[in-house]
Amino acid sequence: MTQMVDERVANMPPPADAAEGVSNRIISPTRLMWWKFKKHKLAVASGIFLILAYLATIFAGFVSPYDPASRSNNLYAPPQGIHFKDAEGNFHLQPFVYGYEMTRDLDTLRPVYTTDTDEIYPLRLFVQGESYRLFGLFDADIHLFGVEDGYVHLAGTDDFGRDMLSRLVYGAQISLSVGIISVLLSLVLGLVIGGISGLYGGMIDSFIQRVIEAIIAIPTIPLWLGLAAAVPRDWPPVYQYFAILAVLSLISWTSTARVARGRFLALREQDFVTAAKVYGASQPRIIRKHLVPNLMSYVIVTLTLAVPNIIIGETALSFLGVGLKPPTVSWGVLLQEAQSVQIVQFYPWIWIGPALCVILVVLAFNFVGDGARDAADPFSR
Amino acid sequence: MSEHTTQTATPILSVRQLKKHYGGKKPLFGPAPNPLRAVDGISFDVIEGETFGIVGESGCGKTTLGRCIARALEPTDGQMLYRPKDEKEPVDLARLKGKALRPYRLDVQMIFQDPISSLNPRMTLLDIIGEPMIVNGLAKGAEVKRRVGELLERVGLRADHMSRYPHAFSGGQRQRIGIARALALNPRVIVCDEPVSALDVSVQAQILNLLQDLQTEQNLTYLFIAHDLGVVEYLCDRVAVMYVGEIVELSDTERLFDKPLHPYTEALMSAVPEANPYSVRQPKILEGDLANAVNRPDGCHFHPRCSYCVNRCRTEEPQLRELEPGRWVRCHRAEELSLSGASDTLVEGVEA
Ligand SMILES: Nc1ncnc2c1ncn2[C@@H]1O[C@H](COP(=O)(O)OP(=O)(O)OP(=O)(O)O)[C@@H](O)[C@H]1O
Ligand code: SF4
Ligand SMILES: [Mg+2]
Repeated sequence: MTQMVDERVANMPPPADAAEGVSNRIISPTRLMWWKFKKHKLAVASGIFLILAYLATIFAGFVSPYDPASRSNNLYAPPQGIHFKDAEGNFHLQPFVYGYEMTRDLDTLRPVYTTDTDEIYPLRLFVQGESYRLFGLFDADIHLFGVEDGYVHLAGTDDFGRDMLSRLVYGAQISLSVGIISVLLSLVLGLVIGGISGLYGGMIDSFIQRVIEAIIAIPTIPLWLGLAAAVPRDWPPVYQYFAILAVLSLISWTSTARVARGRFLALREQDFVTAAKVYGASQPRIIRKHLVPNLMSYVIVTLTLAVPNIIIGETALSFLGVGLKPPTVSWGVLLQEAQSVQIVQFYPWIWIGPALCVILVVLAFNFVGDGARDAADPFSR
Repeated sequence: MSEHTTQTATPILSVRQLKKHYGGKKPLFGPAPNPLRAVDGISFDVIEGETFGIVGESGCGKTTLGRCIARALEPTDGQMLYRPKDEKEPVDLARLKGKALRPYRLDVQMIFQDPISSLNPRMTLLDIIGEPMIVNGLAKGAEVKRRVGELLERVGLRADHMSRYPHAFSGGQRQRIGIARALALNPRVIVCDEPVSALDVSVQAQILNLLQDLQTEQNLTYLFIAHDLGVVEYLCDRVAVMYVGEIVELSDTERLFDKPLHPYTEALMSAVPEANPYSVRQPKILEGDLANAVNRPDGCHFHPRCSYCVNRCRTEEPQLRELEPGRWVRCHRAEELSLSGASDTLVEGVEA
C-alpha cells in the first residue's frame, strides 16, 4: 500500500511569505489583502492623503491659522506666496510671506493688491493666535503655523476678508464627515437589508429587490433636490446637517445592499457553509462566522467607491442653495458663495480652492477604492 | 426487510424511496411547472463498515443524494432509516428537523469535492476543525487544541499547522483538512462527495489510502460518490449506478465490473481508461446527453441513448428488480443481453 508520508513533507508549498524573506510566519488573509493593496502605489498615496485630510478636519482649529468667520481688512486678497529669498537676495532659513499693499482701481473700485517686499512676516510653527475649541471641549489658542505680527493668507481671502485656507479646513469638517457618516449609515442599512434579501430569498427577496430598483430608477439629483428642499429653512444647522445626511444616505445604501445580497447568495452555496450546516452550526453562527467575514472586504470596496458620490452630492446640493447654508461652512457652501461673475472673473482663488479640494478628495477615494477592489480577493492572481 | 441487499448484516442506513425535487412550486398565477427530479425514489441499504459507491454522469443527482443523507438538504419525500449505535430502533433522518436531528448529525458527516470552497478562507485550521466540537459541546479551550492537533497528525499534516489559514496549503492537503473536520465528531458514516476528483492523479492515491486506513481504524461506513469507475472499483464493496435521479443497477463491485447487467453501466465502463497498452478498446460511446430531469423520456428513461432499445422500452417503464441474489437492475432486457464488463472490451488477438 502506498504511504502518503512523502506528500506531507514534499508537497508543503513554499510558504507564501518566502518572497518576503521571512519564513514560518503565519499570514492571515487580511495581511495578504494588505500586501496586495500596497502594490498600488497610487492607492497608498491617496490613502495617506485622505488620512491626513481627515486628521486635519479633526484638528481643524489647530490646523487653520484663523477662525473661519473672523474678518480682516484685506478683502479679496490673493494667496500669498511662501518665500525663502527676500528682494535683496538674502536667504532666510525661516520661510516668510510678504505683506500686501492695497490700492483701488479707480475705474472699477476693485481692490488691487501688490506685494510689499519691505514687510516680511516669518512663518512660525505652533504660534499663539485666535482661540478655538478643540473637539468642542478644550479651549486652545496654539495654531500649527502662523505669523506673530502681520497676517498670513496662503489661499487668499474672500469678500469679508476671511481667510480662505481656514474656511477650507473647516469646510472639510462638514464635507468629509458627510461622506463617511452617510456611508456608515448605508453600511448598516445595506448589510441588514441585503442580508435578509440574500439569506431568506423568495418573496422577501423579490420585494426588497423591486424596492431597490425603484429607488435606483429615480434620477438621483432631482430626488435629492426635492427632499433637500423640503428640509425646513429655519432648522438649526445641526438638524439641517443630519437631514441632508439622511437624504444622501437614502440612495447610497442600495448599492451596498446589492453587493451584500449577491455575496450572501454566492457564499450560501459554498461547501464550507454546507459543512457547517452538516455539523450542526446554528444559522446565526453561520452568518457571524462564515458569511459576514467573507463579504466584508467586498462591502468595504463598495463603500469606498460610494463616498465620493456623497461628497459630490453634498457639494451639489449646497451649491444649488438647497443643502447647507451659511454660516455653516462646507465646500458646497463655499462654492455657492463664489457664484458671482465678479468672483469667477477677478478673484478665482475663492472658487478654485473648494473646487480643487472636492476634485482631489473624490479622486483619492476612487484610487483607494480601485486598490481595495483588487485586494478584496487576495487569492486571485 | 431485506430489500436491495442479501447480506445478513443489519444495515446502518436504509434509504427508502428517497426523493428530492427542485422547484415545481405553484406560482402565484398559472399551473405548477414540472419539478426537477434530482433524486426520484431511491432505495438502498448500507451495511456498517462497508464502502457503498454511487456512480453516474455529471448531473444525475449524486451530490443531491449525498447532501440529503448528510441532511444538508431536506428530502422532498421518502425515508432514511438510520440505526444509532446503542439503540435498537432505527430513526428516520428524513423526518427529523432542528434540535431533534442534532444528536444524529454527529454520526453522519461529509467530505466535499472542491478543495477551495470546502474551507472557510478566513478561519485558521484550528477554527475550521475545532468548530464542529465547539458547536456540539464536545470540547472546550485547550482540549479543542489538543484534539485538533491529533486530528491533523492523523490525516498526515503537522499539529503546528493549526494556526495557519487554508490558503497556505495545496489541494491534497486541503482535502486532508476537510477529512480532519469530518472526523472531528467521531462520525460513523461519512458521505464522500467525489473527494479526489479535483486532485492530481498522484495525490488521489494518497487521499484514497488515507480514507481506507481511517475506515479500518475507526470502522467507518463510507458513501462514496464518484463519476470515475476506476476509483470505485478500487475502493467500493458495492456500487449503485444512477441515471437521472434513479438507480439503474446495484450490485457488489466484483460482479458489476465482471459482467454489468444494465446497458448504461456497460457504456460507463467502456469509457474507463485502460492501463494496458495492448488493449484496443471499443468504447461504447454514450450518445446524446443525460436525459432532462424535468421532462424525462417516457418508458425507460435511458432508451434514447440505449443501443439495445426495443419497442417495449419506449412505452413501458422498467422497475428495479433483483435478477440474481444481491444484483438489482432496471432494464427489460437484462436477462437476454450479454454485456461486456470492464475486462471484456479487449479485442482478441492483440494480447502480449
Ligand atoms: N439548488 C438547486 N436548485 C435547482 N436544481 C438543482 C439544485 N442543485 C442541483 N440541481 C440540479 O439537480 C440535478 C442533479 O444535481 P447534482 O449536483 O446532484 O448532480 P451530480 O450528479 O452531483 O453532478 P456532478 O457530477 O456534476 O457533481 C442537476 O440537474 C442540477 O442542475
Ligand atoms: S429497458 Fe430497454 S432502453 Fe432501457 S436500458 Fe434496458 S434495453 Fe435499454
Ligand atoms: Mg456532484
